Amino acid sequence: MNDWMRTILESKRATRQRLQALPFSEKLKLVEKLRDRSLAIARSPLRRQQHHKA
Amino acid sequence: MKSTLEVINRMQAEGIIGRYAIGGAVGATFYLEPFATLDIDILVSLRNVQGSALLSLSPVYDYLGSRGYKTEKEYILIEGWPVQFLPPRDSLDDEGLQQALETEVEGVPTWVITAEHLTAMALKTGRAKDFARLLQFVESGVLDAERLDNILKRHGLLEKWEQFGVKFLRGDK
Repeated sequence: MNDWMRTILESKRATRQRLQALPFSEKLKLVEKLRDRSLAIARSPLRRQQHHKA
Repeated sequence: MKSTLEVINRMQAEGIIGRYAIGGAVGATFYLEPFATLDIDILVSLRNVQGSALLSLSPVYDYLGSRGYKTEKEYILIEGWPVQFLPPRDSLDDEGLQQALETEVEGVPTWVITAEHLTAMALKTGRAKDFARLLQFVESGVLDAERLDNILKRHGLLEKWEQFGVKFLRGDK
């Protein structure tokens, strides 16, 4: 593994730990944002076009 | 989500449901980083149908339906969140419900299944997304190994745990 990859993985781990340490209420606000984004992506015309092609 | 939990707490206070606890991805979020999920799984104890051993979700549907909450497939849409009410299917679910942790969401009291019970439940269900969650639990370091071991033993899941370890954790050290 090169240094660049190691830095990415360490950064990812640190972000996960920071998110894990948030209070439950804060995490649930993020869950709501993630859900809204997932729904927006699912509704987008581009996504629907991809479904039709597949 | 706060408003959703307030409605569920009101149902509990009015005797429509008994003890309840948040499970699934939302429950796992209590211990891990937040996940994208579209619904809330609520493990709930229900009253028996009169004169029968059967449990019925009808009081839940009737209560919520009379207050304008709509049903969508197996979910009930409560304050913007699809909620699935799940009566315990086995002794693991029963124990998970009994031992759930009390917490609060923006001042609203609620209960969450313990990390070890969520792990055992995911192991038992065994879908790809359950294994992904299991790995996250293992990597997060939140699990109490002795407590998890006891749960796996009590519910006959040790062999499945070993298989999971061989498949996903071997050579990880």
